[in-house]
Amino acid sequence: MSIRTIPTAAIWGIQLFVIGAFAASYALATPAEQKILLYEVTGRSAAETVTVPRDKPLMIEPLYDDPEVVSDEELAQVLAQIVPRFPKKQLKPNYVEHALRTWWLKAKFSDPTVMSGEDMKDYLVDHGRYLASWGDEVEPLLQERSAGVAIRWGKETCASVHHDHWLACLTEAGMSLEEPVFTPSRRNWTANDVLQESIRDFRLDEVETEWSALAFGLWIAPQKSWRNRSGRELSFDLMVDRLIRGDKKLGVCAGTHRVYSLMALVRLDDEYRILSTEGRQAAWNHLEKVRDLIAVSQFPDGHWPSNWPDGAEAVTKPVDDELFKKVIATGHHLEWLAIAPTELHPPRDRILKAARWVIKTTVAQTPTDIGQRYTFFSHVGNALSLWRKKHPADFWMKWEAEHPGWLDTPADATAVLNQ
Amino acid sequence: MSGTLLEEPPVETHPEPSPAGQQMDLSLLEDRVPDQWKSSRRLTACVVVLGVIYFYFCLKPLWHTDLWGHLSYGKMIATSHTLPTTEPLMPLAKGVPMVDSAWLSQVLGYFTITALGYAGVQGFAALCITAASALLLHRALVRTRSLFFAMTAMVVFLWLDWAPLVVVRPQLTGLVCFLVLLHRTTSRHPRASDWLLIPLLHTLWANLHGSFFIGVCWLGAMAFGRAIDLIRRTGTLRSLTHDLTLRRQFLWFELAAVAALVNPYGIGLYGEVLSFGQNSNLASLTEWQVLDVRSLHGTVFIATLVLLVWLYRITPRRVASWEVLTLIGLSVGSLWSARFMVWWAPVAALLLVTHARASIQRWFPWQADLAPSPRTGKWSLVSVGMVWIFFAYSSLGMRVMHHREPAAERALSSFTPIAAVKYLHEHPPQGQVFNTYEWGDYLQWAGPEGVQVFVNSHAHLVPRDVWLHYMQVIEEADGWADILDRYGVNAILLDHLNRNSLIKRLKDDVKWKIAYDDQQAIVFVRRKPI
Repeated sequence: MSIRTIPTAAIWGIQLFVIGAFAASYALATPAEQKILLYEVTGRSAAETVTVPRDKPLMIEPLYDDPEVVSDEELAQVLAQIVPRFPKKQLKPNYVEHALRTWWLKAKFSDPTVMSGEDMKDYLVDHGRYLASWGDEVEPLLQERSAGVAIRWGKETCASVHHDHWLACLTEAGMSLEEPVFTPSRRNWTANDVLQESIRDFRLDEVETEWSALAFGLWIAPQKSWRNRSGRELSFDLMVDRLIRGDKKLGVCAGTHRVYSLMALVRLDDEYRILSTEGRQAAWNHLEKVRDLIAVSQFPDGHWPSNWPDGAEAVTKPVDDELFKKVIATGHHLEWLAIAPTELHPPRDRILKAARWVIKTTVAQTPTDIGQRYTFFSHVGNALSLWRKKHPADFWMKWEAEHPGWLDTPADATAVLNQ
Repeated sequence: MSGTLLEEPPVETHPEPSPAGQQMDLSLLEDRVPDQWKSSRRLTACVVVLGVIYFYFCLKPLWHTDLWGHLSYGKMIATSHTLPTTEPLMPLAKGVPMVDSAWLSQVLGYFTITALGYAGVQGFAALCITAASALLLHRALVRTRSLFFAMTAMVVFLWLDWAPLVVVRPQLTGLVCFLVLLHRTTSRHPRASDWLLIPLLHTLWANLHGSFFIGVCWLGAMAFGRAIDLIRRTGTLRSLTHDLTLRRQFLWFELAAVAALVNPYGIGLYGEVLSFGQNSNLASLTEWQVLDVRSLHGTVFIATLVLLVWLYRITPRRVASWEVLTLIGLSVGSLWSARFMVWWAPVAALLLVTHARASIQRWFPWQADLAPSPRTGKWSLVSVGMVWIFFAYSSLGMRVMHHREPAAERALSSFTPIAAVKYLHEHPPQGQVFNTYEWGDYLQWAGPEGVQVFVNSHAHLVPRDVWLHYMQVIEEADGWADILDRYGVNAILLDHLNRNSLIKRLKDDVKWKIAYDDQQAIVFVRRKPI
């Protein structure tokens, strides 16, 4: 039997039914599904805008004020080495980022040739400043995208060196979410546009995730998960998985940034519960392993080598590390230990020895040496300040006020070197 | 039944018992098979051919790739009673959104293998292929009225689709759905039941496999083709509004599209289907790449295409626009991605024999119609007997009737790493495993519980970076060894056939030692696990 006629009314009825069915199906989909559908059909970002619950980022407070690790004088000597005295021309964003992370926005120096925190921030958020330093022959550091601002990063000296390093450093420096960001053609972006673009952009399996993990944690906690541009559901648990994945020595600065970010996530979890029980346990277990490795991989003079993950073998079968690699490993380990609970510390004498070595080494550097390896020494300054539960800017401004002309007195430096 | 009792019992004539040594006169036997159960010799021939196809595909070993991944997903769904929203089995793909367009096939597959073992899956696949062949055979028979041409259509279809048919995957269920649709929409006499059948088919199809979209497009192409024909014939658009066929086809198209929304993902399934082919990872896989016309597969495709074009030039049959539209659409699709040939083949085969038959009939006009084939109970009996024989001797029949399970070595393809995975089962690797994507699925299915495979053949679910890193290692590109360190790979499973060079380099690397090695596969483990 076949149907011989199809009334026009039936056709219109079916049209309404079809439209209604598709509309209802779309309406019934969750917002995430709708986003993914739009992404798949139109290519528009599937990422949801993450609501950032604060205007200023969280700070991970240091836990110890231990003058045995570093005295005021020693700290002043070390900080004196890393004041941001940079050339105005072809100013490396990487240096500024490191300096700003260490000194924060509030830093002010009596020496007018030294960049203040605000100067450094302006250089990073204002394309005009960057243009003045690099000219128009290089690509802008701040890259405009349809929905946000990305930071150009890579090996070029005119770029930020690591993915999301710009964001993490400004975050650690205390930048406001509403901080204006001036790109080549627009002046109405804010730091939030950089953060949101970074969240959309982030890929879990890219080579470097340390700074993204840190920045996201400081901004969006207690939110635990979010979606990136391709719709992948990411979380701090996955960040932990990623940070502990693979050989420990792989990763920026001999793998130590991964440890620092992991420790930061655990600290954030203490307060904001951003990790699952399993995620926290995995992070903790990993940090315990790192603790055990650095307990046996330290050299008698106090430095940690770049192959610290080899444990005791690092000492018995030493690699031929250049000095700066030793500074990297030692300075960075002291940095994460300063925010770590004592259960994650190696024996105290190891910490003291490491501090001795790194202070001595840092103070012994010439301005040229420091200029070439500023970034690594900036971590030393930050680490030692954290061990005194002080902020470098606060400490320095007070020190300068209390010790006018102190920098011109070489005796102090000599005293440190002779200890 | 009561009516039967009231009827006069039929008068039975009892032939005289024949004297010893004399033969019985069989012509005196009465064929008491009801008319509707009587069948023709032609049908018996078809049953035999289809039985051979079924039997043959029952013997085909199960392929070593995505089947096992599908079964793993099926197991996960069946045991958790939930559909995954993100990839659940590959640790490196955590959080990747997953629209499981084949969930029903996967669950059916899992229940089948649980109940009937390998033989069940082999039998299920063979039944799908046989059903698809039978539908095409029937439609070709009706259109050409020639058993020879109908058989030719089936052979062409099986020949063109040989490679994809060998791989048991949910696509086979989609193929059956497509053949049902092809069968119904190319009928000259649509039935009222088609109004129900076509939407229901699409609902089922949308849950079995993502290829339901081909069905929706097919219906759209038929409606569009009909519109073109009408305009060409009448020269006016007004004809479109009153044509019953066009109305029917257009409404079928719409109802099918709506029916496909009845799935766990709703409209999200459309998004998945539309975006699937754009996944960059698929570009690395041969079957998703542009068809290589220099390969045997590609040459056969081009030859068939040329033959079709020639036939369309000489055919005396009226050429409907839907034929041209679907052929062009599916041909372009096949050239774009070799996987499309699955859908192109039955259409090409049907249209090829349709126009070949018409052309030959013009030149040799004898036997214009199919010679009548008398229907008798004898042929019904023979047909049923043949069905029984083919079933009983097939691996599925053996399993159902005698609980005889084929040995894994026979039931699985020779490239399946049975022994190596057994070794890994007995010596579970710690942490991340690196494996070739071809073996990831089997490792997931048969390997130790919770084994951390690097990738499986569901490449579209693997994060792009992970996939690129996988390719970097497989191709031994710069930094390949670092990738193994970065991912904390502690065990590596490779095949000797394709990865000899990588195996050699790993043998030379002091970080690795051989834990297992046979002629087919090798397992390396890290001397100092990460």
